[in-house]
Amino acid sequence: MGEMIENVNFTTSSAISDFLKKTPAQDIINWGRKNSLWFLTQPMGCCGVEMISTGCSHYDTDRFGIIPRDSPRQADVIVISGYVTKKYLPALKLVWDQMPAPKWIICMGDCSISGGPFYESYSTVQNIDEIFPVDVFIPGCPPRPEALIQGFIELQKKIMAKKDIGTDY
Amino acid sequence: MIDADYILSSLTKTFPNDFSESKIESDTKLTSYVEKDAIFNVCKHMLDNLECNHLSCECGVDYPDRNELEVVYHIASYEHPVVITLKVKLPRDDPEIESIVSVYWNANWYERETYELYGIMYKNHPDLKPLLLIDEMLGDWPLRKDYDGYPNKTSKNLV
Repeated sequence: MGEMIENVNFTTSSAISDFLKKTPAQDIINWGRKNSLWFLTQPMGCCGVEMISTGCSHYDTDRFGIIPRDSPRQADVIVISGYVTKKYLPALKLVWDQMPAPKWIICMGDCSISGGPFYESYSTVQNIDEIFPVDVFIPGCPPRPEALIQGFIELQKKIMAKKDIGTDY
Repeated sequence: MIDADYILSSLTKTFPNDFSESKIESDTKLTSYVEKDAIFNVCKHMLDNLECNHLSCECGVDYPDRNELEVVYHIASYEHPVVITLKVKLPRDDPEIESIVSVYWNANWYERETYELYGIMYKNHPDLKPLLLIDEMLGDWPLRKDYDGYPNKTSKNLV
């Protein structure tokens, strides 16, 4: 908390933000949030190639406010774009923890949803949604960039409807 | 000109008792079984005297019917077009073999992976620990045919 300043009151509760969440102010905040979904460039498999090409100029995701970022500190969305091996899971959790809230997760491709071709493998983790709060699942092997953009739009709709899992309303 | 014939005759001359079931498939391909105590010296001989300076791959095979594990070495050369396949039979309950890292440096990770997947112990390996699997899975030996993780232990129940 740092040192106390005279004549300034601090609160240790989240009462103000809890109150804001119930007012129309949250709609304006969410409108801002949904229009700046910066995603983390963290490719994990062949879906990662589609994810990178989605971030390139051809698909022009800037018009939705979707911009690829290099650092988890600057990102709002993490796209799990491939199989998660048991060895990689701790690193992925670390990256997720480094991202500042509000943050969302998109599962891209069959591998991250259910294991895909690596379903029943000894070294991959299945049922990612039990580990991370996943908002949108994009099936496909791999999904086309248009499908990923569609997934982002679905996430935007969820945020506007206050139905996203990562944030409590 | 060093070809498969020359290599086999050189090897059998140097190690008379250690080679069996040798098969020359063509000028460039040679397959043979080697006794497990000799493999280190065989590799050393091939590197020093036969210019076979490229270990292309080292892997394991499981034969539960014969109660045996096999280690397979593919050794090639940058100097002449030869690929030599050496196989070593190991007992399944106590698979232990001499490491060849001090001969071919790149065998290091191959042996670590064969170790974690088949449980083949490499003696005198500089750093024998799992390469790709998590430490908790050590001892499961997932690529052995009797591994019971498939399919019950891994996925929950999508079927």
